[in-house]
Formats: sequence, C-alpha cells, structure tokens
Amino acid sequence: MALTAERFIFRLLNFWVLHSLALVIRLFLVGYGIYQDKTMVVKYTDIDYHVFTDAARFVTQGESPYNRSTYRYTPLLAWILVPNIYVTPHFGKLLFVTCDVLSGVLLYRILSLQGLSSNAAGCFSAVWLLNPLPIGVSTRGSAEAVLSLLVLSTLLCLELKRLFMAAFFYALSVHMKIYPVTYALPIALYISSRGSLEGKGRSLFRILRGLFNKNVVMFAAVAGVVFLALTIAFYYMYGWDFLHETYLYHLTRRDIRHNFSPYFYMMYLSVESEWSLVLGLVSFLPQLLLLLLTSVAFYADLPFCCFLNTAIFVSFNKVCTSQYFLWYLCLLPLVLPRLRLSIKQGAGLLLLWFIGQGLWLMPAYYLEFEGHNTFVYIWLAGLLFLFINSFVMVQIISHYTPRTFHQTKKTE
Amino acid sequence: MIILYFLLIVFCLIHCGHSQKDEVICGLASSWLESVVLSVNIEKKGFHRELLYEVKHDPTPHVIKTLLIQRLPSGVYMDQYQLASLKEDTGLEVLLDSSVNLEDPAYVSPGFSALVYLRPAERVLQAAVPIHGRYHRPSNSGGWEKVTIEGPKLLLRPEKYETKTLPADLPHRVVKAPCTVRNQSLCSWLEIQTSLVSDSVSLKLPVGNLSLAGPVCAGTVLATLLCCALLFRSVWKHGIF
Repeated sequence: MALTAERFIFRLLNFWVLHSLALVIRLFLVGYGIYQDKTMVVKYTDIDYHVFTDAARFVTQGESPYNRSTYRYTPLLAWILVPNIYVTPHFGKLLFVTCDVLSGVLLYRILSLQGLSSNAAGCFSAVWLLNPLPIGVSTRGSAEAVLSLLVLSTLLCLELKRLFMAAFFYALSVHMKIYPVTYALPIALYISSRGSLEGKGRSLFRILRGLFNKNVVMFAAVAGVVFLALTIAFYYMYGWDFLHETYLYHLTRRDIRHNFSPYFYMMYLSVESEWSLVLGLVSFLPQLLLLLLTSVAFYADLPFCCFLNTAIFVSFNKVCTSQYFLWYLCLLPLVLPRLRLSIKQGAGLLLLWFIGQGLWLMPAYYLEFEGHNTFVYIWLAGLLFLFINSFVMVQIISHYTPRTFHQTKKTE
Repeated sequence: MIILYFLLIVFCLIHCGHSQKDEVICGLASSWLESVVLSVNIEKKGFHRELLYEVKHDPTPHVIKTLLIQRLPSGVYMDQYQLASLKEDTGLEVLLDSSVNLEDPAYVSPGFSALVYLRPAERVLQAAVPIHGRYHRPSNSGGWEKVTIEGPKLLLRPEKYETKTLPADLPHRVVKAPCTVRNQSLCSWLEIQTSLVSDSVSLKLPVGNLSLAGPVCAGTVLATLLCCALLFRSVWKHGIF
C-alpha cells in the first residue's frame, strides 16, 4: 500500500506529468468559470478581468485604456489582451493560466540548477503548481501570473549569468508593478560580488564600492533604457493618465477602506488631520530600514533575499490586499529546499498564518455586509496579522541555510 | 372680427374635443392617476444595499412607460459596470446622469441622479437597484452615519405620444428626460405627484471613532516598531555580513 502510494507520488513528480496535470486543472477551472458565470448569480470571474477587457476594448477603438475607471495597470496589459475583443473573451484567462504553468516550469529549472534532484525539484514546484491560491487567482482572470513569470525569468537569467536578458525581464517587471524595485539592491550586490574572490567579512564600504563594477553598470543601463523607453512611449501615447494610474496612484495610495494593512485604521482616522503626512513618513521607515538590511544580509542567496524583501514589503505596506500574497508565494518554492523546519513546524506556521487571515476576515465581513461597527476589531486583527507575519518570517530566517558564494562556487 | 370670433370658437371646440379625447385615449385620466402608488424600500445590510421600487396602478389597456428619477446623496454610489452587467443578465435598466467614482469617500464626492426605467407590467412594476455606501468621515464617538435618500420622482409617458409632445394643458408638470436607457433622444414625460408610501429611506453606515485616534496611532506605531525590531534582530543575527 505504502509502496503504491510512493510510486504514485514518484510518477506525479515527473516533470511532464506534474506540469500537464497543473495545466489540465487550470483549464478545467476556466471552463467551470465560464459555466458558473452563465448560470449563477455569484460570478466566478474576478472584477479585475472585466476591467482589463474593458480597457482592451478602448484600445481597439483607438482610445486610452485609462478611460476605464479603476484600470491601474500598464497599457501593455490592455494591449496583450486585445485578442479578448477580436478572438474570444476568454483569451486573457488562457494566457494567465499559461503564464502560471510556465512559472512552474521556471521554478523547476531554477531548482534543478541549484542542484536538486528531479524529484525534489518537482516536489517543491508542486507547491506552486498544485496550490489552490495561484490556481484560483489565475483562473479567475487576475494578471498576477504574468508578473510572477517575469520575476522568475529575471532570477533564472541571473542564475544562468545571462545579464542582458535578466535586465530586460527586470525592467518589464518593474514596469508592470512597482514592488520589484525592492530587488534592485540585492541584484546589484549579487552581480557585483559574484565574480569576486572575496567571501564573507566585506565591510559595508567595500560592498558599496563593489557596486560600481562593469556588470552592475551594464545591468543598470539595460534595465534603465528598457524601462525609460516603455515609460516615454506610453507617456507620449496616453499622457499624464498613464503616469498617474500606473505608478503615482500606487505610490501615494492612501486607501482608507479596510484592508489587511496594520496602518489602515490609523490612516482612516488621520486622513484629514495635519498628522497625516508625518504618520505616512513614519510608516515608511520600518519598511525601508528592513529592506535595506535584508538586501545587504542575504544578497548572496538571491531568491531567498527577494522572497524576504517581498514579504517585508507586503507586511509593512500601507495597503495590503490578498493579491499581494502571491508576490512572495511564487518565490516560496525556491526557499523551501534549504529550510530546516519539520513538516509539523511548517504546517503549524501555515495554520497560524491562515488563522491570522481568518481573524481579520471575520470582523471585515461583519463591517461590510452586516453593517456592524467593527473597526476596532479589524484594526486589532491587522496588528495581530502583522505580528504573525513577522513571527513566521523570523522562524523562516532562523531555520534557513542561506547559500553563500563559497557554496555557489562548489556546485558550479 | 366675425371671422376672428368664428376661428376662436372653432379653436375652443377642437381644443376641448382634443383634450377630452386625450383624457380617454392616453389613459391618463385623473381617476386612474390617483390609483398610482409608489413605494420605496431599502434591503440588505452593511455597505451593499438594494433599493426596491414598486409602482402599483389600476389596470389600463394602454401601454404607459414609467421612469423614476432618483436623486442620490454623496454618501452612496452606484457602480455603472455592475449596472451594465445586470442589464445583460436581468434586464434592469438604470441610467446614471454623470460618471460616478467608485472609490472616493463621501466628503469628496458629489451627489448624482439615477434614472430607473421600469418594465411595463399589468398592475405592479418593480425594480431592485443595487447601491453601495461610501466611507464617511470618522465621527467623534464612532457609531453610524445616517444617509437619507429622498423619494424619487415618478414620470409617466403614454406610448401613443412617443413621437408627439404632450399637450401643455394637462394638470401635471411636463419634464424632458431621455426616452430610453440608451439615452439617444429626449422625450416629454409627465411628473406625477403620487402618494408615496414612505417619503424617504435611510441607511446607516459605520464610521470610525475619532476619539480613539491617539491610542490607535500610538498602538499602530508601537506594534510596527516592535515587529520591525524583531525582524531586524533576526536578520542581523543570521545574515551573512
């Protein structure tokens, strides 16, 4: 019995079986979503998908996608979804599902390059491929899969020392969403230290001096040119709307409506007071400080550093919605192999994280759908969620064996 | 002089005959108009509600188009994209007079008007229109903010008069409004003062408590600094420097 189960799992973790299964599950859910949308009142498709489709329709009519209110993405997304209007309205979902499965392929590849066996790589990429959260998100029509594909492409190209391609994908990912900017420092440190013979114990001064090396400058130049070219081109086409909706809105976003962020209630109560600016700045500092420290501490293990940076960014951000969790979930399979937590400990942390979310969702539901005044409970649940996130991150950091350049040299 | 007098008499006869004919043909006899009853109720709880309109009238052989003009305060909004998808799914026809921001709080939003085209029916016309509450300014003691929605205006248009304008001598106000939800042309409608079962409806939306601003800010800053310190210590201890 145990043997057949083991053989089943062995077969499952085979590259082709795993990825085909992941694709089939997603295609089935896309089909089911079409059925549910037609027959039930509660729709399967996310509202965001309709926003993208409407924006794509404006593009086909030669107008700005920003005519669609709440469209806060790059025009590139509306452009690539133009087949939604000309071919089939489900094209976008199929595209996102494909990006999702391709992300799994890239995870497998990066894990293999890091020296894992085929089965181990399959096992860890299954954390993404067979995980209901990314499956649900991409089959409902959310575009997060495109971004995770771009981020993983950047990491893979860096692993393969293809700096030109890495810079290109990195510029694209920053163009799509702002948060990959937090990877700039770790990537720069990683590239600059890779060729050097020095290992641990470099002073901060020497680290920063090392940033001005040929490869880093080349990477920065290519990424800068691609990013600027895209920005200038879209600014020329769509004007101020593009800059505002794609970037400035997210940077200055002071969403006073309830969300997972611990700052939500503080922002709501102080939005019209003179303290608002000061509090905004104060809330920015922990994020900035931690990001800088983590970048300098773990840049040698780039996937782990990016994972931590993203988790810190999301947890300490002024706005946090459930979509943001996918930003670091796509990097989790790269962190798991070197995590020394037992299955029980890992499951315990996961359960704790879900409990934290649940404790927030309950008062939020009562506020939005029942009209109870649960603001204080939502605030407290937000603070608790921050504690839980920090605790989980501390546990991961304490039980992780980071790669160093000595070890990297050994496997090469 | 005699010709003028003669013309005047003829004009009067035509006019009286015309209006008498009208009273019968368009079915807008005042006795029938008195039978029209409009009621408005608000359903559901929380930030997402539904306005239920019901217009009851005596049966009439004529087809009469009904339009409700609902003025909405800044405290609520309607989602034009939701209304567009409801139009496809259930046939609900609602036209908004301006573009409505879906995310702004109440204190930076203007009011707007919604035109609800009711589908003709034998006796009872109904429509359920979803509305959503906006976030309001926090109050000094928390609790709830009351948003009052005044009763809508009821407009009728007999179908026979689709191409003609209504005669000006009927004892009701004539209003110009879009003929259909497609908003392609304006028609004349009759504004009817009916007995509203309830004049206005209200909803209560929870608001934040300003008196807690101090403790909330202090608590949030402390909590974030504490978590920041915990993470800082952990990264410092295990980081590779």
